[in-house]
Amino acid sequence: MVQTETFVMLSAVLFILGAMGVLLRRNAILLFMSVELMLNASNLALVAFARHWQQMEGHLFVFFVIAVAAAEVAVGLALIVAIFRSKQSINIDELHQMEG
Amino acid sequence: MEALFLIVMVIAIASAILMLLSENAVHSALFLIVNFGCVAVLYLMLDAPFLAMIQIAVYAGAIMVLFLFVIMLLGAEKLTSQTKRFIWLTPLAIVLAAAFALIVGAAILNGEIDLTPPTERTPQLRVVHAAPYAGSVDVYANGELLASDVSFSDATDFVELPAGDYTITLNPVGTANAVVTVNVSLDGDSSRQANTYTAVAYGGTRSIAPEVALFPDNVEAVDAKTARLSVFNGTNSPVNLVDFGSDFDPTDDRVLLADLAPGMLVELPLVSEDTSVRSWAFTGVDAAQTNLERLPVLVRLNNPEVYSVKRDTAQLLVVSTEGLFDGTTREVVFPLVDRSVAPFGGPQAVGQLLFSRFVLPFQLIAILLLAAMIGAIVLTHKEGFQPRRRDVRRKVMKPLANVISEQVGSDVLVDETPLLPEKQAEPAGD
Repeated sequence: MVQTETFVMLSAVLFILGAMGVLLRRNAILLFMSVELMLNASNLALVAFARHWQQMEGHLFVFFVIAVAAAEVAVGLALIVAIFRSKQSINIDELHQMEG
Repeated sequence: MEALFLIVMVIAIASAILMLLSENAVHSALFLIVNFGCVAVLYLMLDAPFLAMIQIAVYAGAIMVLFLFVIMLLGAEKLTSQTKRFIWLTPLAIVLAAAFALIVGAAILNGEIDLTPPTERTPQLRVVHAAPYAGSVDVYANGELLASDVSFSDATDFVELPAGDYTITLNPVGTANAVVTVNVSLDGDSSRQANTYTAVAYGGTRSIAPEVALFPDNVEAVDAKTARLSVFNGTNSPVNLVDFGSDFDPTDDRVLLADLAPGMLVELPLVSEDTSVRSWAFTGVDAAQTNLERLPVLVRLNNPEVYSVKRDTAQLLVVSTEGLFDGTTREVVFPLVDRSVAPFGGPQAVGQLLFSRFVLPFQLIAILLLAAMIGAIVLTHKEGFQPRRRDVRRKVMKPLANVISEQVGSDVLVDETPLLPEKQAEPAGD
């Protein structure tokens, strides 16, 4: 039986890696993937605590987070495609001005 | 378990780091899929098989395929030309991440995650009325009404009670003098999925008060397509449970439960769903009798409307004596059927929550997904949605007016209609 603490630590490490990806990478698609990694890390913590407290509600929240992540990816990738069409680039440094 | 966890943990962290470092976006996406797979394995270790399936199907499947599709579509594998505009961001990010790691590490290590034991499950109690001479009763626990007007062969619902000692009293409906009083102790056992207890009031005659037996009740989930059967003897003498098999074949008789003393509960081995209990019967006990056919049959379970075995249920068969109007008695068996509690983390348990307490969030998520779908279509639509231009319609109108004029024979719209521009002559040659 692996302790809950260990799972939460792993979840924190993955979350930090995801946050660093968001801050360091300039490719908009990679940025999105890092956000997914962070969401996954939080899901892992939720499931670990759900087992710790033997409460099923945590699983439900993870279910909802996955659904929201799917929606977010659909809209986000559509945005990236639209931006790429107008700018011919998905480097977020070139998108920092909110000009058409 | 530990070794497997360590391996999966190392793979998860390594694939996350590789995802961050790889220059090619396709490689990054593939490393992220590996990471999601590792998380799915961790979900399995955490008793969440349903979420592990969802993780593989939705995350590693649908979402990552979408990512790869967009990367390939845009040809964005190596599009990140390093601009030097935000050069200070890199060290800042590392400092912020380190600070976050410190805070989280301190919070986890100094927190009391593992010191707190898993929650105790609130005990649930139901009271079964199997005392034939007590009439309908009200059930009180420590003076508080649990259920009113419980008649013979009925049971109260499971009522949540905080762990502790209780005095259970059964009063005839509307009166305050107890038929029977019993002290019970319910503890918050955390090891059981559903911490349920059953108290059965049984036995007694017109002059003798009935007794109450309390026992932990097992409504935990069972293997797929099986049911749990328990038998409680509420009569004044021991009983057998015999499966007589075919009526014409005395050799297939077998004893399922021998010599069950009064006030005792026994759980039968799991039976598969739709087991026929038509040939089962409760009989009296006669140690000298070796031929099962000769045993005095008390009750046959041959009414499939009442006695049937359904899967995912926990069934308690209470054998009791019933007083008839002419003063004689007879044995009756009444089944108390409960849905068993679904196993933790399985699809059934998730579904039970999703369609009961979480219906509204579920609907909201569905609407959100619909909105996201429409949003994605609008965003990626090439021309955008502009209203149709009016002059398209006018172009159609003009020739139509001319046609009408020709048919009527006079120019109906001659004043208003401007002439169509002359069609230019085709250039000569090809």
